[in-house]
Amino acid sequence: MIRQKLKYLLPSVRREHERDMREELEALRLLAERGELGNLTLAAEDARAVWGWTWLSSLAADIRYGFRALVREPGFLAAAVLTLALGVGANTTIFSVINATVLKPLPFPDSDRLVLLWKTFGKGPGNENLMSAPDFWDLKTQTHSFERVAIFDSSGRGYNLSARGAEPEQVSGVRVSADFFAVLGAKPMLGRTFLIEEELPSRDHEVILSYGLWKRRYGSDRAIVGQTIRVDGEPFTVVGVMPRDFAWQFWSGPRQLWVPVGYTKTDYARENNSFLSIARLQPGVTVAQARLEMAAFGSRLGKQYPVDDAGAGGTAETLAGYGLEGARRVVFTLLTAVGFVLLIACVNVANLMLARGASRQKEIAIRRALGASGWRIARQLLTESLLLAVLGGTAGVILASWSSGLLFHVLGPGTQLPMRQVDSIPLDGHVLAFALILSCLTGILFGLAPVIGALRTGVSDPLKEGGRDSTEGGGSRLRHLLVTSEVALALVVLSGAGLMIKSASQLLSVDPGLNPKNVLAMQISVPQEAIYTGPPGLPHFCRDLAEHIGAIPGVAAASAVGHLPFGGTAGRGFQIEGRPPATAENMPGARYSVACPDYFRSMQIPILKGREFNLQDTLESPGVIVINEAMAREFWPKENPVGKAIRFGGSDGPRLTVVGVAGDVHFEGLDAPVASQFMRPYTQAGWPVMNIVVRTSYASPTFFTAVKKALREFLPDLAVSDAEPMTDILRDSMASRRVPMLLLSAFSVVALLLAAMGIMGVVSYSVTRRTQEIGIRMALGARGADVFGLVLIGSMKWVLAGLALGVAGSIGLGQLMGALLYRVRPTDPVVLGTVSVLLAAVALLASYVPARRAANLDPIRTLRHE
Amino acid sequence: MELLPGTLDMLVLRTLIFGPLHGYGIARAIRGTSKEALAIEFGSLYPALKRLEMKGWIASKWDTSELNRRAKFYRLTAAGRKHLTQEHSKWAEFVEAVTNVMGPVPVP
Repeated sequence: MIRQKLKYLLPSVRREHERDMREELEALRLLAERGELGNLTLAAEDARAVWGWTWLSSLAADIRYGFRALVREPGFLAAAVLTLALGVGANTTIFSVINATVLKPLPFPDSDRLVLLWKTFGKGPGNENLMSAPDFWDLKTQTHSFERVAIFDSSGRGYNLSARGAEPEQVSGVRVSADFFAVLGAKPMLGRTFLIEEELPSRDHEVILSYGLWKRRYGSDRAIVGQTIRVDGEPFTVVGVMPRDFAWQFWSGPRQLWVPVGYTKTDYARENNSFLSIARLQPGVTVAQARLEMAAFGSRLGKQYPVDDAGAGGTAETLAGYGLEGARRVVFTLLTAVGFVLLIACVNVANLMLARGASRQKEIAIRRALGASGWRIARQLLTESLLLAVLGGTAGVILASWSSGLLFHVLGPGTQLPMRQVDSIPLDGHVLAFALILSCLTGILFGLAPVIGALRTGVSDPLKEGGRDSTEGGGSRLRHLLVTSEVALALVVLSGAGLMIKSASQLLSVDPGLNPKNVLAMQISVPQEAIYTGPPGLPHFCRDLAEHIGAIPGVAAASAVGHLPFGGTAGRGFQIEGRPPATAENMPGARYSVACPDYFRSMQIPILKGREFNLQDTLESPGVIVINEAMAREFWPKENPVGKAIRFGGSDGPRLTVVGVAGDVHFEGLDAPVASQFMRPYTQAGWPVMNIVVRTSYASPTFFTAVKKALREFLPDLAVSDAEPMTDILRDSMASRRVPMLLLSAFSVVALLLAAMGIMGVVSYSVTRRTQEIGIRMALGARGADVFGLVLIGSMKWVLAGLALGVAGSIGLGQLMGALLYRVRPTDPVVLGTVSVLLAAVALLASYVPARRAANLDPIRTLRHE
Repeated sequence: MELLPGTLDMLVLRTLIFGPLHGYGIARAIRGTSKEALAIEFGSLYPALKRLEMKGWIASKWDTSELNRRAKFYRLTAAGRKHLTQEHSKWAEFVEAVTNVMGPVPVP
């Protein structure tokens, strides 16, 4: 039977059957009495269906027919395809970005079994903490959920590569334990990875190169393995080169080299939480099980080491999911907004189809009179809608291929995702599948409108001569409901954009606490033994900096700081002299950094009390600190802190005297409250990464070259990163809001345009249908103004209903945006009011044009037209 | 009288038991034997013929009719005959069961 059916697919077989059937029916017609056999065409049609492939040929016929019908109305076709292209294009663009970022798989085998392990302090969220090397040693022996565990110093740092006769260069690298590569499932391309004994300081002068570094700096020399290169001025043996597809990055940019962890003396302290732990789960162990085991492990640490690990816990999370909470919120918000844009596009096309369906009522009525079933009509109309949707979707993909490139360009700087290198936004199979499915869903959605319209209309009404509903009929209520929904959707998108714009303007009005204009910042890694306790690795760094860089013409001030504002921070506990000693658990603490003299002057951070660091603060002179206003408020609310002293790191730590109070800087971001912060002079306390800041008296791109040249004079072996203007750093710190703001603004322009088009279409159409009614009204004495008001009020009634619904929806979207908003509530009356008025104005304008036309109708011509 | 759903195939097979017939002949035969009680729409009979043919219960061939006109004649195949026997006994059981339940016509 199946074989027969399949045979029927062959055109020759089918032709044979068709001829046979035609002859048979013709013969029967001659035998029977006239009309006795009924509708033979229908009988043949049903007989064909027995063979099972009629749907295929009728589908082909429907597509052909639909195509011809669409081409006959180029105006309708263009409007519908363009509208759909905007809707599908915007969605495909956003999806392609999500596909290339958040959904991008990590470049490691079985990456869903990779987890990050944390020690926790206090309740979440955000209670994840780094762990110390002794914690890691315990973890390795005491847990069973993991196949392998490794540690690395989270984001790593810059390493200085130097060689005779070559420019020194700073590249980013990470200290890793021996199993690091095995955890990731990565094998070296050349040589080997680290051995367990190389974790110790005596054997740690070895390095593994990334493919990129090996190719660029070492000319793809395969003999590099075993050779010695200079890293931070010391000889390191190259033991391996990683393959091209191995990319490890934490937050920014792939790392270029790896060195063994080489435990230092400070690493042996359990309190020195400076490592991140990564592990591969045992097969069959879930993340939830690992989390439980880590919690137990953490609380055991807390009991065992009540001083260092008081109140500790532990947790685990997938490597792939790490750091995506913020991105997820952005993704949800954008998907909602862009989904609404698509719905508006759907509504518009549904409206277009309804208007077109009205002019096709006669055609459909004739088809039904000839015996077509309702289902058959619905199928044909849906086929046409799907055809339109696929055409629109194709145009949308073309649009997306262009706009995703543009978006990537805008997104590029300041967008950092953990673990993922985003270097392009491809239109791959996933994106195309997404666009296709979306188009089909869209087609079904807007295709339902004409189907409902067609099936509700009776067979005989449209065929009556001159038959029409001369006033607003039932179909028009559907159309007006579509206007209402369109306005509501547009309002939600608009207010999303409005809330983001208001957040951004609130954010921009926050005084950062420093003057970022004409300040260049660049990073340099300096040799440093112990980070919190040791003397500076370069004792004359600050003096040399001031002398050499300060001497460049046009430089107003030059200094350096351990943590650049809007970058990372460190924290440190202390005891306040003259107050009862606190226990380790509730020891006071604050954000901590180091700075060279003149730092506050360079950044134009006001000194409110006392003084800032100067070159007289040396290792021989008493220890000093400068605190920020927040710290003064927190610890010396009613006293003058200048002259007070603290014990750094605990009661037996060095005694440091407060010599100055500086103005608050929003160093953790403009949207974060200012935390207490204190700084020590670099001349008294070292730090391994320093940010050189140079204030110039005018903006010029040539300063960097001069600064680099000056640096070479006193630090010939150390390389410096590219200079970045402080204004860019400040701007990038707001990137997480800038991107959704720009996108939501773009979507709202599209939404507004589509809504205006939709409203204008519906009102125009209803005026056309009511021509006769309006003519009679005017013949009976209505003036132009009356008709104008009638049309306008008729339309605005539905618009206002949409606005009311939209306000409710906007508040919902605002809740979803949550932390994306800054000092704006989702119910902000200014934002909601402004966008409502804007949308109402646009709707009024869109109704004005057809209302004018109605008012100018000539009643005599209208009625004679009948 | 409308046909009970699913009975048309059985009726067609039963009609062909006496020999080959063309489509119009089958329709006429059912109408005749049922004493005009069963109105067979040709529109549903014709697809039924195609369906039965595909299932292999009937076979068709062109031949000359009683009035010397060409027509397509359908005949019962061996498989069709077997199927009809099964259907027939099922039908008999069904009728008996329904009759048992319904009993004689109740007096109003």
